[in-house]
Amino acid sequence: MSVLCIMLLTVSCIKKEPLNAECDIVSVTLPGDVLNRRPIIENDRVTLIVKNYVNVTELAPEFELTPGAQISPASGTVRDFTDPQTYVVTSEDGEWHKTYTVAVQRNNAINLKYAFEDVRIVKSTQGGSYDEFLDININETTHKRDTMIWASGNGGFALTNGTNPPDTYPTFQVSDGYVGKCAKLVTRSTGAWGAMVNKPLAAGNLFIGKFNITIAVAKPLQATQFGTPFYSVPRYFSGYYKYAPGEVYQKFDADAPGKLVTVPGQKDECNVYAVFYESTSDMEYLDGSNVLADDNPNIIAVARLSEEQRRGAAEWSRFELPFVFRPGKTIEPEKLENGHYNIAVVMTSSMEGDYFSGAIGSTLLVDELEIICK
Amino acid sequence: MKKYFLIIFAFCLGLGSAVAQEERPGSIWRSVSLGLEYEVNASINIGGASPIPLPAEIRKINSYKPHLNLQIGTNITKWLDKDRKWGVMTGLRLETKGMETKATVKNYGMEIIQDGKKLSGKWTGHVQTKYSTQQLSVPVVGVYRINERWKVNLGAYLAYAFNNSFDGYVYDGYLREGDPTGNKIEFEDGAQATYDFGEDLRRFQWGLQCGGSWKAFKRLSVNANLTWGMNDIFYDSFKTVSFDMFPIYLSLGFGYNF
Repeated sequence: MSVLCIMLLTVSCIKKEPLNAECDIVSVTLPGDVLNRRPIIENDRVTLIVKNYVNVTELAPEFELTPGAQISPASGTVRDFTDPQTYVVTSEDGEWHKTYTVAVQRNNAINLKYAFEDVRIVKSTQGGSYDEFLDININETTHKRDTMIWASGNGGFALTNGTNPPDTYPTFQVSDGYVGKCAKLVTRSTGAWGAMVNKPLAAGNLFIGKFNITIAVAKPLQATQFGTPFYSVPRYFSGYYKYAPGEVYQKFDADAPGKLVTVPGQKDECNVYAVFYESTSDMEYLDGSNVLADDNPNIIAVARLSEEQRRGAAEWSRFELPFVFRPGKTIEPEKLENGHYNIAVVMTSSMEGDYFSGAIGSTLLVDELEIICK
Repeated sequence: MKKYFLIIFAFCLGLGSAVAQEERPGSIWRSVSLGLEYEVNASINIGGASPIPLPAEIRKINSYKPHLNLQIGTNITKWLDKDRKWGVMTGLRLETKGMETKATVKNYGMEIIQDGKKLSGKWTGHVQTKYSTQQLSVPVVGVYRINERWKVNLGAYLAYAFNNSFDGYVYDGYLREGDPTGNKIEFEDGAQATYDFGEDLRRFQWGLQCGGSWKAFKRLSVNANLTWGMNDIFYDSFKTVSFDMFPIYLSLGFGYNF
């Protein structure tokens, strides 16, 4: 035994650590007090939300990269961010390159109407593809096209979905909307793969915010980051929806085979709501763990389908929900002007989907949403 | 597969005892006189499948656990000279080779397959690996007798694996989906993913073997053999594990000589 160990050790020493192959932007800073939120860094996209007075034509972002990586143009280069700019990061070992789009968002008059007419197809690395909803908006002050990308958990589902097409995903576009096309959200099984990582089902979801795929397996509730800065006082949240709950309600159970147990008699519910909240440095965004929490001090007002509405709607049904202010909560004009408030619009085909409980097959269609402001 | 093993085990024992009981007075005796020598043996295999040298992707071996790998076999030596100094030996042995390791890796090729759906990419973090193979091997070696008690051998072996497994799980780390530029997916706080490369293990292998034998009693010898596989344990078409791994085992055991 010892002879063998000595032999193995002599031929099998640990080699010198290889140079890094990754080429990530790890963090971004802008000189001066110009950022209104912390930078949002995704795998190939960076969003910098700046304060109203900031001149976006001359910004010099500084990047922290994977150790040893290089960025071009160099960190600190002054560029015009009226339109999104691209950067190329090259890994320490020189083998890998990644192109980032860096966009600066200022006083964004986000669309207040959402028709779900536009999608772009995202290719998964496994060869499948899924829909990503877009809202294109002409900014009234800058006359520039702003694109808002709706977030969904599709990117996480893609890990389990092989080479399958968009309509096998939990969230996708269909043509039979109330007007034109609409968003369709279906609660899906994630199969053996999903069960293995304790995520046996995936509710269709669509929201304003970001889906952080990096933590989707380890911290799923935190992976859904809800909201974007909002500069108006919301009054009503309206739209059209159709909902049919799936047949069998199942609850997540880590000890059960397939990680699900049937709950007899329980009916699935959808959820459609908008939350207006204050973004503070300790809670810049809401996430799955706190977005509707009664004791969340940041929430100002919520507009949400009633329990009866959540249970089902066989035909296209209109809803017009008032933003109900939480006791003692008001909107302060100065904070509003300075972009200290966020709005989140969230839809899901299974209300408890963020806890991996619901009925597979529950189907929600949503169209012609609008946030009506004062 | 355990059943398989037992059947072959019984067969070998049967063969051994048949040789021992029935044929010994007659044909064996004649064979011996013609320069043939028979042995049945049993031993344990200690070792593992390892890349040589360790590739840079492997940063640390955190644990290594050899399985209790049994080996039984029988062999025949044909002495080529009158003094019985030089000979050739062949035989048949049934053996298991297995191990478990835990390693820390960086940018290590990984494929997580469930239900035919495959997530592949580069893993940085911890990997647990369990390797086990059951094989029928045929050694062909030259034998040199140093003195009455000591024999040494050197040669090659051919092996057929009738049962193979190579699986494990990854934990405490992250996967870059596809390649190092892909989505980063963290597996933390107990989240783990299993992998199984058993289907990609090679069935036929060959390797080199050398060893020695010490005659403790008239019919009982103590044997030690080192077998060093010359093929990657995986098929050439399998690219996920980006380096070759070779089975290297030391067997220690006893032989009964007829």
